Amino acid sequence: MAIALVGLVGVYVRALVFTPIERTQGPAQKIFYVHAPAAWAALLAFAVVGILSLVYLWLRDRKLDTIAESSAEVGLAFSVVMLTTGPIWGKPIWGTWWSWDARLTSTLFIFLLFVGYKVLRGAIVDPEMRARYSAVIGIMALVLVPFIHMTVYLFRTLHPDPVLMKPGRPALPGVMLITLLISIGVFTLLYVGFLMQRYALAVLRDVREEEAASAIP
Amino acid sequence: MSGRRRPQVQYPDNGAYMVAAYIIVAVVVLLYGISLAVRIKKER
Amino acid sequence: MPSSFWTVAWAVAAKDLKIEWRTKTAFASSIVFAVLVLAVFYFARDPTAVAALDVAPGALWVTFTFAAMLGLNRAFLLERENRALDGILLAPVPRSAVFLGKLVGNLAFVAVVEFVSLPLFVLFYDLAIWRQLPTLIGVMAMATVAFVSVGTLLSSMVVRTRFAELMLPILLLPFLIPPVVGAVQLTSRVLAERPLSDLVGWLKLLASFDIIFVALCFFLFEATLEE
Repeated sequence: MAIALVGLVGVYVRALVFTPIERTQGPAQKIFYVHAPAAWAALLAFAVVGILSLVYLWLRDRKLDTIAESSAEVGLAFSVVMLTTGPIWGKPIWGTWWSWDARLTSTLFIFLLFVGYKVLRGAIVDPEMRARYSAVIGIMALVLVPFIHMTVYLFRTLHPDPVLMKPGRPALPGVMLITLLISIGVFTLLYVGFLMQRYALAVLRDVREEEAASAIP
Repeated sequence: MSGRRRPQVQYPDNGAYMVAAYIIVAVVVLLYGISLAVRIKKER
Repeated sequence: MPSSFWTVAWAVAAKDLKIEWRTKTAFASSIVFAVLVLAVFYFARDPTAVAALDVAPGALWVTFTFAAMLGLNRAFLLERENRALDGILLAPVPRSAVFLGKLVGNLAFVAVVEFVSLPLFVLFYDLAIWRQLPTLIGVMAMATVAFVSVGTLLSSMVVRTRFAELMLPILLLPFLIPPVVGAVQLTSRVLAERPLSDLVGWLKLLASFDIIFVALCFFLFEATLEE
């Protein structure tokens, strides 16, 4: 239910974006309004996983692990959006699909870490061990990402890329800022909605697994 | 709008990218939402 | 620190190293790989177009990283076969001592490979490193500690999972980026005899990575052990 509502709002907002705004970068700039919020959602999901992992190791409440797991999957979906829309935006603006700059590289590794997290979970059968190990990876991953960002940033400042023309964050005129903010809000709602649904799924699945486990004679 | 002359502003012609991106976002979001709904249905 | 802490750490390290010394397979593979990397990179480059200094750091660290992976693999294969660690854990020993032991064991392995390969590289690439040697060793130490500590933690986790051999590289790869990139950048600058100011940024990155992740790994090791 939450999702349906939220999804609708999201699409509606996008329609809003289409109308009032156009730019010197051309219409492709509008990709920003879905790319940046998607990145924000992915990053949020990632942080949630990391923080919940830390709290889990402290409190050992299995619910935390279930939420973390859900957040990881939702985050993975948003990362996919982020990693596809990024290059699509980059190609017309930068002239290249990919550039190993700090932000892009960090987002790539966030994606890879999400994948690694899922793979790890897939390889462990015992729920308690799975929760523990996922928490370890979650924490390590969260601490790692700033380092990856710093690494690439340091690399770039010393090896300036001649082709780069950053569509960074120029001072946004009011109208666009509003659109962006609305979009961020919508994506956040989308994240929460997905998270709730995914959590519901996880709870159902856990119940089934427990029943199966206790049914074995 | 097509009949009017706009002497100064010349937009780069990259609308296709925008459309592609927006389509992808919609597709991914919808697919994921559907996958969740389907998986929940299976569990119930 | 009670003496038992160091005794345990030493015992764990010594056990791992003794077992490896008997067969020497991982060690031999690492050296062979070093020579292979040397040869491939040598023949792959055009000496008139690409300077040795451009290629050497990358080749060097590819070798060292691979050696670390081999060492980590070996360490946990032993674990699987012997489950010796479970025996140690039954005793009331501080967990961090066990981690330290494993870490030192892995570090020793990689260090030996590094010190055997380094002269080979100097030879083949005609590098003039004598004056830079202390700095170079410092860089090597810092970077090696970085990825070996994360690798030790991850390998101790991964032992108990399915597809363990596959899992380790997948999980470890992202954690290799800051230390290895830093190491290559620093090695490259050190070999080119750049002034200290060129190195400071990377040194800070590497040092903070070391401090934070070594501490984190020690802290998290407890969570990887079964209750």
